[in-house]
Amino acid sequence: MSGAPFLATEHWWDLRDLSNISREILEFLDRVGPDWLAYVVSPLIGFVAAFLLFVLPSQLFVGVYGERRLIGRMQSRLGPNRVGKFGLLQPIADAIKLIQKEAITPRGADKWVMWTAPVVFVAPAVLVWAVIPFGPNMVIADIPVGLVYFLAITALPVLAAFMAGWSGNNKYSLFGAMRVVAMAISYEVALVLGLLGVVLFTSTMSLQAIVEWQREHDIWLVFLQPLAFVIYFISASAELNRTPTDIAEAESEIVAGYLTEYSGMKWGLFYGMDIGYALAAAAFGSTVFLGGWSLFGLEEWVPPWLILVAKTHLFYFVFIWTRGTLPRLRIDQLMALAWKYMLPLAAINLLVVAAERLWWHEAGLGDGIVYLFAAANIALALLLVVGWARVLGYRPERVPTRPRLVKHVGGYVAPGAETGGGR
Amino acid sequence: MTEIRSEPFVVNIGPQHPSTHGVFRVKVTVDGERIVDAEMVMGYLHRSIEKLAEERTYTQNIPFTDRTDYLSSMSNNLGYCLAVEKLAGIEVPPRGNAIRVIMAELQRLASHCMAIGAFANDTGAWQTPVMWTFREREKILDLFEMTSGARLTCNYMRIGGVAFDLPKEFEPACRKLLATFPSFIDELHGLLSENEIFIARTRGIAVITPEQAINASLSGPMLRGSGVAWDIRKADPYCGYEQYDFDIPVGYNGDSYDRFIVRLEEMRQSVRIIEQALDGLPGGPYRTEVPLALRPPKGEAYARVEGPRGELGYYVVSDGGPAPFRFHIRPPSFINLSLLKEMTVGGTVADAIVALGSVDIVVGEIDR
Amino acid sequence: MGTQWWTGHQLAELAERLVPGSVARADEVAAYLKPESLVETMRALRDSEEGDFVYLANLCAADYWTRFEVVYHIMSLEKNHLAVAKVEVFDRENPVVPSVVPVWYGAWMQECEAYDLFGIRFEGHPKLYRIFLWDGFPGWPLRKDWLSMPGGLQPGLNEFSGTARREPPPVRVVE
Repeated sequence: MSGAPFLATEHWWDLRDLSNISREILEFLDRVGPDWLAYVVSPLIGFVAAFLLFVLPSQLFVGVYGERRLIGRMQSRLGPNRVGKFGLLQPIADAIKLIQKEAITPRGADKWVMWTAPVVFVAPAVLVWAVIPFGPNMVIADIPVGLVYFLAITALPVLAAFMAGWSGNNKYSLFGAMRVVAMAISYEVALVLGLLGVVLFTSTMSLQAIVEWQREHDIWLVFLQPLAFVIYFISASAELNRTPTDIAEAESEIVAGYLTEYSGMKWGLFYGMDIGYALAAAAFGSTVFLGGWSLFGLEEWVPPWLILVAKTHLFYFVFIWTRGTLPRLRIDQLMALAWKYMLPLAAINLLVVAAERLWWHEAGLGDGIVYLFAAANIALALLLVVGWARVLGYRPERVPTRPRLVKHVGGYVAPGAETGGGR
Repeated sequence: MTEIRSEPFVVNIGPQHPSTHGVFRVKVTVDGERIVDAEMVMGYLHRSIEKLAEERTYTQNIPFTDRTDYLSSMSNNLGYCLAVEKLAGIEVPPRGNAIRVIMAELQRLASHCMAIGAFANDTGAWQTPVMWTFREREKILDLFEMTSGARLTCNYMRIGGVAFDLPKEFEPACRKLLATFPSFIDELHGLLSENEIFIARTRGIAVITPEQAINASLSGPMLRGSGVAWDIRKADPYCGYEQYDFDIPVGYNGDSYDRFIVRLEEMRQSVRIIEQALDGLPGGPYRTEVPLALRPPKGEAYARVEGPRGELGYYVVSDGGPAPFRFHIRPPSFINLSLLKEMTVGGTVADAIVALGSVDIVVGEIDR
Repeated sequence: MGTQWWTGHQLAELAERLVPGSVARADEVAAYLKPESLVETMRALRDSEEGDFVYLANLCAADYWTRFEVVYHIMSLEKNHLAVAKVEVFDRENPVVPSVVPVWYGAWMQECEAYDLFGIRFEGHPKLYRIFLWDGFPGWPLRKDWLSMPGGLQPGLNEFSGTARREPPPVRVVE
């Protein structure tokens, strides 16, 4: 792991780098305990710290409380404001309520599958955080294929959702399960192809190294890879079942999708971990595309982990925002979006990146060329999005959004036979 | 290689389903996501109001009409009172008529708010439009509360006029509402009718041709959405609707989107009508005194009003007694459902929900 | 201005002209058509240039103790007039009226409703079923003599005394 020369001190009280504390603890354990103790304890410290300091509070107070308050604001209502000051204890009250509720298992359900599904859903949500770098030294496992690890782990909840949908012995659940699988297959392909562009540019799959690359070149990958970012955002929101694409648990169509038969804390686990995955996707997105814990030198003054937390929550805010605004797409429209638009665009993007990368290396250009690439890629992305839609036959014709007006009654009004007129 | 074969299976949409707006059930047979058959099952809310009404006097029946279409009780009161007035030959004073128009149009605004919000909810807009429309609907219900004392089931119209005169504070409050309402409609227009996803979800879904619409006796926004100019306020003016200047919005090709924009435009026209009615609000009595135990002469009358959902007809037969001999309601949303099978078969489950939402059903009115 | 309401005589005259012998009698309100040639007459009225009754506004039944009346409010959208046609049924045990669904599809639901509440069978209806009440509901509730029908509602708050309570749904084990 690369060192952090810019950090002023390595004292344990320097909270800009929380790894100082954990290093002190581990060194102490190494001195007093057996050899293996530090190895066993070190990931535990990481997970516990990540969860206590970031994931759990975010899940509760941003994911549950903040989201409900924000959406309440968007919908011109108040949101939860009764439990505790400003309703801050609402998530805890919710959790208590959910724990008290009966976990119903329908008579025809496949009991074992139904009971294991929440567990299968929760476990990856914890493991996901292993590769997210919170700071120069603050990553639980900086494995060289962190990106692949992240993609592999986040593909697991699809299995859990399918188990949940299949086992409930409910037709709506089955609908939801089938939709989850169809959507995951479609969007995973585009997602991976999009992220490959990032990997090509940075020549690494380690998330820490991707952040370092962005710091070294003083540019975020969102500017270099705007198309990949858009594809990542849409795919992530599709896989997370956030509203514009939440067909798997489309409330107005198939009641609650694969969660229809769940109740009590089993449902609560799905609900909570949905937020957990959304946060993980936001953290991953801000790491890969938005510079992670770096902020153009500011990370030497502000704790880097705070920068990442802020970026994650901003990213998550966009999820909330789209959820509060947009209607839902139909499943065939969603599939068409994945296969007809995002997949070819991701492939073209990959080609462009490969060419740029080759040129950069072969011609031995300096690092300043990335700004040129950024400008070119943003223009190209806009051109590609518009052009590809045109190629596939989409015309942004102005559909009439106001009806015709007629003054007198009669039978059918042929086009052009309007007699009315507003004021 | 064996052919992959899928087996159709039956899914019950309803009676407990978030999108059936009440206890209404559609048994759909689906093949994958495609619907191959749809069958309506209703009657969960049947209270036999038509039978109950035969046992009560004409005035006592007015609250029943509230409870049929509980989202537009004023229009229902109005239709029933018109039928009885026609039967008994009662004239309503001009002030009563103007108040009736104001109330019926406010009710149309409130009902369309609900319809549009619920429709947007059916397309999957996560509660935001429905909350916005509820916010505006609350203001209208406040006006109803101010006038009639009730918010939902107002029981405000009387045979021969209305129950009470408008209170002093009604007119400023109503003008305040009307001043803000067009901007709210524009807001909805921006949020929904120009939204690419919303257009993709509703345009071309559940198309009804004008011939189909007329033959199936559809009415209201369903008929107008198909491009047929028909509005009872224009065709057969009641309560002095002929004095007011307004237009009939008609759609282009009769899909769900057209029905939606027709409803949105009707709200604009309703605002126009209320403004005109408030401006020209005549003085004088607001009700003709009629005996409490009214005994209309023998005969029958069919009166209809343009309710928010379409032609709302009341067929009342009198045998000279104090209670109607036969009392029949022509419920618009019940008959608008006739084409539900044609609208849904061939589409996906999501389309069926959109089609059902665009009909704008009220189950209390379907089942009565 | 406004819808022109035809008298029964006007409609009877037109119907008689289009389909001779189709009208039983006529009064100020309505023309009483003969059930034998009802569908034919209605179709002729719908398709005629003068009548143009393309729209069935309302269909309902009424019980007058000795007879049933089925009332059709038909209208033209372009000419903006409305007429009332009626059909009388005298058989209380097994009232049958031809269905007008082939003429106006809008009669589909309303005929089901009239069948459900009055027990009038509409012959030729594609699918006549009890639309509000369950199959086997005792009697026809909107008939005037419903309370004295076998199985009708007895005074008091008891259950329906008839045999035809709703049967428990057949249990089917889902494999």
